[in-house]
Amino acid sequence: MSPMHWDWLVWFLKANVIYGGLLGTAAGMTLAERKVSAWMQYRHGPNRVGPWGLLQPIADGVKFIFKESLTPDGANKWLFRCAPALAAIPSMLTIAVIPMGPAIPFIPGDYKYFSITDLDIGLMYLLSIGGLSIYGIILGSWASNSKFSLLGGLRASAQMISYELTLILSILAVVTLTGSLDLRDAVAAQSGAIWEWHVFSQPLAFILFSIAAFAETNRHPFDFAECEPELVSGFHTEYSSMRFAMFALGEYCAMVVIASLWTTLFLGGYNVPFWEDAPWFLCIGAFLAKTSIFLFLFLWVRWTLPRFRFDQLMALGWKVFLPLALANLFLTGAAVSYGVKLW
Amino acid sequence: MAEVFFYALSALAVLFALGVVLAKSPMMSVLNLLGSFFCLSVIYLLAGFQFMAAAQILVYAGAILVLFLFVIMLLNLGDISAHSTGFLGALRSTGAKIGVAVAVAIGLALLISVNLGMLGLKPAESLPDGIDGMTGIATELFGRYALPFEAVSVLLLATMVAVVVLAKRQRPGTDARKS
Repeated sequence: MSPMHWDWLVWFLKANVIYGGLLGTAAGMTLAERKVSAWMQYRHGPNRVGPWGLLQPIADGVKFIFKESLTPDGANKWLFRCAPALAAIPSMLTIAVIPMGPAIPFIPGDYKYFSITDLDIGLMYLLSIGGLSIYGIILGSWASNSKFSLLGGLRASAQMISYELTLILSILAVVTLTGSLDLRDAVAAQSGAIWEWHVFSQPLAFILFSIAAFAETNRHPFDFAECEPELVSGFHTEYSSMRFAMFALGEYCAMVVIASLWTTLFLGGYNVPFWEDAPWFLCIGAFLAKTSIFLFLFLWVRWTLPRFRFDQLMALGWKVFLPLALANLFLTGAAVSYGVKLW
Repeated sequence: MAEVFFYALSALAVLFALGVVLAKSPMMSVLNLLGSFFCLSVIYLLAGFQFMAAAQILVYAGAILVLFLFVIMLLNLGDISAHSTGFLGALRSTGAKIGVAVAVAIGLALLISVNLGMLGLKPAESLPDGIDGMTGIATELFGRYALPFEAVSVLLLATMVAVVVLAKRQRPGTDARKS
């Protein structure tokens, strides 16, 4: 085969491996969520399907497919059917730019980064496409023609807009240090010793990003879009079967993507600390290990903290996090332009 | 090939724009606007302006239109066709006048930019790595165009304050000058 065909084959392989990994992780997260909550509450959790309940996600998936899909009377049928796809697709698309491994010789002598695509403006792409997943939630909630759904969608839109500012400003502080929107450059800037990681040079941005990530993915303690004590089930109250599953899939994929972004920006990406030219499988292993730390954090926080109040969330976002993120960006910018080495 | 895409996307963008005006429900208007923005963004991509395309999606689709949707849902605007006054009535409305004014302004801007020589203006000179390089955009925006850029942001701030003042309703029994 000609070199061009090889390129296509490698690309096809990478895309399949990464998307398989993403969807597999999302499915595994549904099980992990129930298992972790069970352990934290001194229970066993699902343990009937397969060894240790490992096949539970498959059983759930089969059940979702065979359930009846209801469309409420008075719903806007077209939007009601589109919304779950709109919620799931953007978060799946964003994984494409995350570099998960170093240059790997897929074919001897031909090195390719282990990410589906390499964009110079990878971060911009990730933020802009990732920001679109809110449309699924808003349109689904509006099209349901139900007051609980509508309230959930309203809250989701207000919350996402507010916390996206904090998220982007905290990312910009890291971008200022790296001087590039390319995620591969962010990883390269953190190679070598562990104190090169941006979590040490940008501790405030790290904390702000972590908190905003919870709000952006609609996770506990900020899951006001569904908030079951008040809104039945929030924006997906009227959804059943696979359409409901698509919303869940979108949420879990968004969690995986934001955890990988967290790893890439702050925890050195796929770098193995103190070992600059580690073999590629160790690098990918390091990436997966760091990402799963944050995924576990999502679950840990969910089953530990009580939910906030909506006005508390908004006040926190606009009056505390946004000024802090702006100040951090300003200080970082000043330090970089006057050549002060922060770390 | 790129030209075929360009014309197809432009036609689609115009169709979506028509949809914004003609849609009966405000929600559908916003969705049409979203479609139009997407077509524009792909046109930018075709022209090689990656940053512009991403910024278009990030700012307009990801933030501004979400705010539109937020307001529409908050006010729960229903079908507006019930109180429309027919074609002639629509032509006499304030909206139509503003629309005509904007169309004329855009037409003039097009004419001027096509015949730049007429006013003795020069088009922006191309940069070594193209205007689209991040460095190129940043240098232009915060160098040569720093003053207009800041002026625009002050204008936006003033607009925001004005909207807050206008939208703040007077409670009966309170004096505006005191509060």
